[in-house]
Amino acid sequence: MEAVYDWFRVFYQDTGINLTFIYDSYDRNRLIDGFFMTIWLSVICLVLSMVIGVVGAWAQGARSIILRRVVAGYIEFFRNTPPLVQLYFFYFAIGSILPTTENRFGFEEPILGNFAWAVISLSFFAGAFNVEIFRSGVEAVPESTKEAAEALGYTRLQTYLYIVLPLAFRVCLPALNNNLVNLVKTTTLAYAIAVPEMLYMANQIWSDSVNVPEMMTFLLIAYVFLVGVLVWFMNRWERSMRLPGFG
Amino acid sequence: MRKWIKTTAAAAGIAVLASGLAVTGASADVIDDIRKRGKLVVGVKADYAPYGFLDSSGKIIGLEPDLAQDVADTLGVELELVPVVSSNRMQFLEQGKIDLMIATMTDRNDRREVVQIVDPNYYSSGTNILTKGKFAQWEDLKGAPVCGIQGAFYNRKTSEEYGATIVAFKGTAEALTALQQNRCVAFVYDDSFIVSRLGDEDWKGWSMPLPTIDDAPWGLAVKKGEDAFAALMAGMIVNWHTSGRILDLETKYGLEQTPFAKKMHAQFRGVNPSIER
Amino acid sequence: MDMFGKKPVLHGATDLPVLLPAAARLSATAKKERAAGFPLPHLKARHGFWLLAILLLSAGIAEAQSGTPEKQSAFAALINWAPVMLEGFVFNIAISFLAMAIGTGIGAVLGLMQISLLPPVRGGSWFVTQFFRNAPWLVLLFFCMFLLPFEFNLGPVTIPFPDWVKATIGLALPVMANVSEIVRGAVKSLPSGQWEAAESLAFTRRQTLWEIILPQCVKRMLPPWMNLYAILTMATVLASIVGVSEMMTQTGRALAAENRPELLIPFYSFVLICFFAYCYPIAVATRRLERRYQVKL
Repeated sequence: MEAVYDWFRVFYQDTGINLTFIYDSYDRNRLIDGFFMTIWLSVICLVLSMVIGVVGAWAQGARSIILRRVVAGYIEFFRNTPPLVQLYFFYFAIGSILPTTENRFGFEEPILGNFAWAVISLSFFAGAFNVEIFRSGVEAVPESTKEAAEALGYTRLQTYLYIVLPLAFRVCLPALNNNLVNLVKTTTLAYAIAVPEMLYMANQIWSDSVNVPEMMTFLLIAYVFLVGVLVWFMNRWERSMRLPGFG
Repeated sequence: MRKWIKTTAAAAGIAVLASGLAVTGASADVIDDIRKRGKLVVGVKADYAPYGFLDSSGKIIGLEPDLAQDVADTLGVELELVPVVSSNRMQFLEQGKIDLMIATMTDRNDRREVVQIVDPNYYSSGTNILTKGKFAQWEDLKGAPVCGIQGAFYNRKTSEEYGATIVAFKGTAEALTALQQNRCVAFVYDDSFIVSRLGDEDWKGWSMPLPTIDDAPWGLAVKKGEDAFAALMAGMIVNWHTSGRILDLETKYGLEQTPFAKKMHAQFRGVNPSIER
Repeated sequence: MDMFGKKPVLHGATDLPVLLPAAARLSATAKKERAAGFPLPHLKARHGFWLLAILLLSAGIAEAQSGTPEKQSAFAALINWAPVMLEGFVFNIAISFLAMAIGTGIGAVLGLMQISLLPPVRGGSWFVTQFFRNAPWLVLLFFCMFLLPFEFNLGPVTIPFPDWVKATIGLALPVMANVSEIVRGAVKSLPSGQWEAAESLAFTRRQTLWEIILPQCVKRMLPPWMNLYAILTMATVLASIVGVSEMMTQTGRALAAENRPELLIPFYSFVLICFFAYCYPIAVATRRLERRYQVKL
């Protein structure tokens, strides 16, 4: 590996193209951490937003009118404000009124840090769309299909698990995919509240080493690659799960 | 695929054009250009009170814009101020978007490779922290979350050498808010900025307890190869130190007179250089 | 209304009438959002009132917190800085207009290339479209900001490239890719029978495209195109992260000059109100057009 690093050092001296994130171990580790932070952030937000979507869809079908109103208000708030503003709002406004814990430096630190707020904010953002998606998905399954299942001796739970959910899921998939792809792209905004994801780390590196073009090119390629792989995989999945004769 | 090849070729073309600009730009003398167009374009900070900040009419004012005005007056031309941030100021100078950069930039060798930093230095500042905690030395920050500003060079040092976790924000407004909310135990920044905050009512009970490190001079810079302009600027800086202009400006903007400015004033007093080019 | 208005609803038209209209709705939304490249806002008039309430409330709290009489009140500070902030807002509008114009022009060509019969043209334009659709807007913006030169020398003519123009180009790229998809989607949405009918009437391919297909597409493309504009307008605030003197930047600078963290929320809600005031009429118009031109996709 040392030979490779040295080669890139010489490459810098010869061409002026400074790829510090390859030969400088500090920069390399930063960028790798940033890359995994982006993926980690995306995965956690994805899972949480799905949970929020399912719970929200259930709450929208609940009898309590208050519960339904709350969910409707939640969806409206998150759909209509820019995610950047949501992040600021959660982190600086909501974050400051929550209880605090004392850290080892004797400071009353807010219990949730920037990563936690990024997760919460982005999950709620994506979750708001998931609620509507899941609700439409479940509504899309006709009564007659459920009755048919009942006639075949399925219990209610079994009908839900084996008939309604699989059908609903396949109906939801295209919309869910859009949402997931957007979520990965939106994680770049966590930069604004100093979550050390890939864009943040790249920015730190180009500030230190004055190699903006190199870092920018790397970032663009890395994100297009990441999202491209995701879209490709999702499209394949969507095609294989497609309901025949529909859409 | 033809389109793809075309796009690649276009991108390459842009790159070549950009590099070509850099080369052709350097050969002409920038002072002639400035006189010809009757305007000096200077890159300054716009979010770094009191060195460069906006007044409520949207005009950039501060210590550094005042210095830029002196240069424009000397050349007998109009002044145009372009707001820059730490992460783009050197690019702007390289591209020729600005003729001169006076933007709180610390003078460092790797930066001297990219732009021409003029000697002597016009100002100096070190790194310190703003905190209400009890820290006696930098090593005490080990493992602690410390707020900073994106693009500041000491972020790396603070985390690499002292083990602090840097939480870097876009601007001082966000960082100070995070600090007041105890999201970080301290704010690492230029000591001159911290001193100016400590004089403020809102920051009672806060302090700057650590020994200032990296007391490093600030450099104003011109584009690489602009020797005549650099010589002119060197004369200007000597003049500022001789006349006590920097000390006056510090007083004007409510800063304490810094040891560096006092030292330079003492050193240059009596020397009266010519600022003819 | 038009020739498609009376088509039977989707679930009836398929071989397997399994799913209810909810599925068709969801599928339509998914298609719409995929074309726009971002989830769509649903602006309503009452959102404007909420924003106003937040502004008043937070400014009130800021008043109570500051206490010290020598300081300006939060409202006075806001009025004081409003001209500077609105000046920035003009940039947001200018950027959104220009980026939309550039993106639409190039994107339309790219979209037509995507339905070309020549495989290399089709493949190439598909690649360009996908590339710029998949890149995060913020990253494209950074890219253009730092890598475009500040001026172009074309012989005697020098075209200056100020910051905001670079940001415009950075935002025009994803717009271009999404317009390309909108065009392709609209053309693909027309039944292939139309092409065949035109061919049997001895229309050339070009004639069919210009005289039969595209006129019908314009109607279908208008609502998603306007949705894209709304998204773009909101995305112009991203230019603040790269230092263009638009509204968010000016607000940040105003806050830095005031240096009073309690002003953060009133100032930013003022920003939101400005954007709401601009985007809401567009959203209403889009919904009207959508209803008027409703076609089953």
